[in-house]
Amino acid sequence: MHLARLTLIDARTFRRLEVELTPGVHVIVGANAQGKSNLLEAIAMLATTRSLRGGTDLDLIAWDAVADDPIPAARLEADVVTASGREHVEVSIVGQVVAVGVPPQRAARRFRVNGVARRASDLIGRLRVVLFAADDLAIIDGPPAHRRRYLDITLSQLDPAYVRALQRYSRVLEQRNSLLKRLQERRGKPDELDFWDGELAESGAVILAARAEAVRVLGRDAAVTYAELAASETEALEVIYEPHVPAPVAARLREHDLAERLLEALVAGRTEDVRRGLSQIGPHRDDVRFLVGGHAAGVSASRGQQRSAALALRLAEVAYSKARTGDAPVLLLDDILSELDPARRARVLSVAYGVDQVLITTPDAAHPSRAELPGAIRWRLEGGRLEPGE
Amino acid sequence: MNDFRDPSGSGASPIARLVDAFHRLPGIGPKSAQRLAYHVLRAPEEEARDLADALMEVKRSVVLCARCQNVTAETPCRICSDTGRERTIICVVEEPLDVVAIERTGGFHGLYHVLHGVISPADGVGPEDLKIAELLARIRDVDRDIAEVIVATNPNLEGEATSMYLGRLLRPLGIRVTRLARGLPAGADLEYADDVTLGRALEFRQEV
Ligand SMILES: [Zn+2]
Repeated sequence: MHLARLTLIDARTFRRLEVELTPGVHVIVGANAQGKSNLLEAIAMLATTRSLRGGTDLDLIAWDAVADDPIPAARLEADVVTASGREHVEVSIVGQVVAVGVPPQRAARRFRVNGVARRASDLIGRLRVVLFAADDLAIIDGPPAHRRRYLDITLSQLDPAYVRALQRYSRVLEQRNSLLKRLQERRGKPDELDFWDGELAESGAVILAARAEAVRVLGRDAAVTYAELAASETEALEVIYEPHVPAPVAARLREHDLAERLLEALVAGRTEDVRRGLSQIGPHRDDVRFLVGGHAAGVSASRGQQRSAALALRLAEVAYSKARTGDAPVLLLDDILSELDPARRARVLSVAYGVDQVLITTPDAAHPSRAELPGAIRWRLEGGRLEPGE
Repeated sequence: MNDFRDPSGSGASPIARLVDAFHRLPGIGPKSAQRLAYHVLRAPEEEARDLADALMEVKRSVVLCARCQNVTAETPCRICSDTGRERTIICVVEEPLDVVAIERTGGFHGLYHVLHGVISPADGVGPEDLKIAELLARIRDVDRDIAEVIVATNPNLEGEATSMYLGRLLRPLGIRVTRLARGLPAGADLEYADDVTLGRALEFRQEV
């Protein structure tokens, strides 16, 4: 698939950007603070509906628009071309004005597909991207929430049922936790948990099964790539899914009765959950372990090993996305080539030349060089404008 | 846009307060709230006083029907005292407006019961905060011939939680408990469903 047209209005540094894109390799050259990361972030948001960086939705709206417009809003639009046709996707972030003259404190997201208002779950996956960025290292050495987020963003683009399960799970979890707090304060009766436990088990099982399968395939593939990237060393990469459920449930991840087993565990854990006023088990506390040579990569691996592991995982993700959909995702390389040695850079570029479209950002027009990127289309990003480069 | 900003800078000018009050009403977005506020500002004083009086009057004179808990000027309400209605079936709804929506279909001739909400722990609403005790008391003491309760809560998470709770409470009393058929799009509000869809959902209701 490829992006044929991109429009950004009042999105971060872009007041108005409209560009037609062809398939192929695109190099976007821009000095720091010209919006290179913002550009790739906006494209990723059209794929996932989420901001892949920190901050609130409100931060996505251009600051000038927040200051000047009665109802400030950012709009991201793209035409996505696949083998089955052309689709138009649109994400708007609208500041919620509560009173005249008072700047908005919150923002709401709105979605359209081919001009028709849709839910987030209907838009996700129409455009699929894999974003390579310097902070990918946090997947290896950051807190578990980073790894759950990685899995959610990866799987959401591939599986609408996963998106729906994730949305339902988070709503049920919020309700269940509120009820646990009420029960902790001796308001209500424990059997009021029955409905929420049933729902949590249903959607939780979908999430657990999907994550187990994804980590199995991604981990296997990443281990092979890691061994090739780190040809000089003998320590292997292992990627292990750690579902936060009791062992008897974890043993059923690929079975049809997973939801029932999870429900039993939830019911058995009620007393403890009420005591703490919080749901103790379930995919909201999952983790993925990365081991190099049998030791936790986040703690004991070298920076170079961690970088190779993160890179191997992203490359595995490209293959996984293509294998599951029959269509390669759009690759976004956010200024990562300069920090790679020639062998790793060559590996990434060989994958990049195997997909329909790649967008590469760099601060330096000389790197990557023309020789390294034959046939690449060059752009210059300056002051929020994208112009054909020389 | 800055015309109505409070010159004192405290932010809470009378017009901002009115916009805020309108915005808190269901279904009123920020734009509509501003439009309504400017309308009131421009309107003759008489019109503003009419609006204020109507708001206060409704709080003074409207009560809840002792049986069905719907809003009414007199209790029992018109529907509860209508001898022409089937007295073996109750349709349980979230809000008074849902009664209006179902009446409009013309396909239901039984009684109603208004819960005034749904179970939603995150909003601090448990079964004891709804008119569920009133429903049980009414079936026990007044409407003793009830054979079926249709739970017509909205087809979302909280509506389903409420439906399951009522099912467990009422089935042991020998009452058939049903739910609207899946004609309503999930997440849709009953209030906004068209008459035909809602009528079909009623007709093809299923056991909970
Ligand atoms: Zn009544």
